[in-house]
Amino acid sequence: MRTGIFEFASKLRKREISAVELTKEYIGAIEEKNPTLNAYVHLTFDTALQAAEQADRMLKEGDAPVLCGIPMALKDNICTDGLPTTCCSKILDGFRPYYDAIVWEKLKAHGAVLLGKTNMDEFAMGSTSETSCYGAPLNPINTAYVTGGSSGGSASVVCADLAVYSLGSDTGGSIRLPASFCGVVGLKPTYGAVSRYGLIAYGSSLDQIGPLTSSVKDAAIVFDAIKGGDKRDQTSVDFDYGVLTQALDRDVKGVRIGVAEEFFDGINPEIKSKIEEAITLFEKNGAIIESFRLPALKLSLPVYYIIACAEASSNLGRYDGIRYGNRASSYTSIEDMIVKNRSEGFGDEVKRRIMLGTYVLSSGYYDAYYKKACLIREEINQEFDTVFDKCDVLIAPTAPNTAFPLNYKGASPVEMYLSDICTVSINIAGIPAISVPCGEDAKGLPIGMQIMGKKFDEAKVLQMAYFYEQTAGRKAGVNEGGARV
Amino acid sequence: MAVTKTEIEKLARLAKLSFSDEENERFTAEFDAIIAFADTINQSIEGGTEQIRSIGARMVSFEALRPDEVAQSLPNDKILSNVEGYNGFFSVERSKK
Repeated sequence: MRTGIFEFASKLRKREISAVELTKEYIGAIEEKNPTLNAYVHLTFDTALQAAEQADRMLKEGDAPVLCGIPMALKDNICTDGLPTTCCSKILDGFRPYYDAIVWEKLKAHGAVLLGKTNMDEFAMGSTSETSCYGAPLNPINTAYVTGGSSGGSASVVCADLAVYSLGSDTGGSIRLPASFCGVVGLKPTYGAVSRYGLIAYGSSLDQIGPLTSSVKDAAIVFDAIKGGDKRDQTSVDFDYGVLTQALDRDVKGVRIGVAEEFFDGINPEIKSKIEEAITLFEKNGAIIESFRLPALKLSLPVYYIIACAEASSNLGRYDGIRYGNRASSYTSIEDMIVKNRSEGFGDEVKRRIMLGTYVLSSGYYDAYYKKACLIREEINQEFDTVFDKCDVLIAPTAPNTAFPLNYKGASPVEMYLSDICTVSINIAGIPAISVPCGEDAKGLPIGMQIMGKKFDEAKVLQMAYFYEQTAGRKAGVNEGGARV
Repeated sequence: MAVTKTEIEKLARLAKLSFSDEENERFTAEFDAIIAFADTINQSIEGGTEQIRSIGARMVSFEALRPDEVAQSLPNDKILSNVEGYNGFFSVERSKK
């Protein structure tokens, strides 16, 4: 079984290995595998070794936090003071932030060792990580396939054991989808549970940072370290979760599991049958299964794309190439310079989404698209609230299919958007959800099961995922960091 | 609903983007499909979108604003550390009229 955070923490405390030695082991693995996987886009080995030395000092002094000295990775849209943060976009080429994101500030205080920044879809806009200006990261399970997106690099490094854990961000499924495609665990916390300060914004009312890990327990540990309110993100709140890892071992007897048929429409039959097997397993162990309807769910995809793109068109308005990033070589006026900086700096998918956002916010279309999408969002929220009055969690697939082949040309932009069908409604409603490995398809590609909970009930979501992982997951062929690259 | 090349050009101006003729051609076709996709929010749900329960629900609340207090900012030299050749001014090429 793969070594988890608690086991590494124990080894570090028993002096079986030092943080510097552990970091060097990971650096060696990255040097060997990253040229193929392209999962890291910025390596920070010098500062990692300095952080590991500092962690060893903290461990020697005693009372160090559990994450002290554990090597990890951050998605390239999480700001790191003085270290490259580019959102995998040409427009932020060479940008080094001048402050840390809150999540990184917190992890640094825990003694975390940052190995590097991970590959992603440009500005987190995509479902395969192929829109990265650095080229796509590869899926370690089978390098002919994509990692999923947009936190593809963060999933790839955990799957290939090139980091013990990583952080990603999830606007419409960007943690859960790559977790599903790479056979790792990915947690999208409740909106507001984790501060977004220092996360480069895509859709501010939807974005949330969360962990990608090789086990549910590790996800609980990392979430515990990064959660909490912060005055620099006015949407974040302090919620008393207690000790999350203590909630994991609870029995599932009597837990009410909701199943909504709308989540299963058009799902690959192999995936559907694996999720149904998992639901049966919960039932055999005393959980109560109930069926529900969520009629507005079928509108969640267009609602998501309208709201996310509207917010993106506003958030990305700041990139003018003047204070940082890509600058055109010749221009005829300041206006021309800004237009050229943006047109040369952004890739096609980002331009498509800025244009859609501009369209739905423009005069004459605002009521028909943006306002209506906001109203339907309220409707979706109310439907989830009604369902969660009657059940504790909802279970569904994470994605309608397993990983796509790389450079899959069969899909138009709109067809690509459909891969987010199972995940976007969770961001619209702001509820927590985890993707936990649930076996594999006939091609050997991982399948993800999604467990959703009430707002701020991460404890229940983690408990159910942990039960499945411990009871059936490993037998069902869950990836244990056994990347086959 | 068909989006014309002229509309695409207008949107591009608003978004401060420019497209070559070839890009414009491709983009107009793709954008048509994307707008058709966005239009599906107007398809009926049970009861119809016109009757959804939340019509008239709050869109954005401006009631809970925090006091506007001046706080310490990051130092200018740090914030502008990414500007190439910054010397107190932003250097740009002379405009060619």
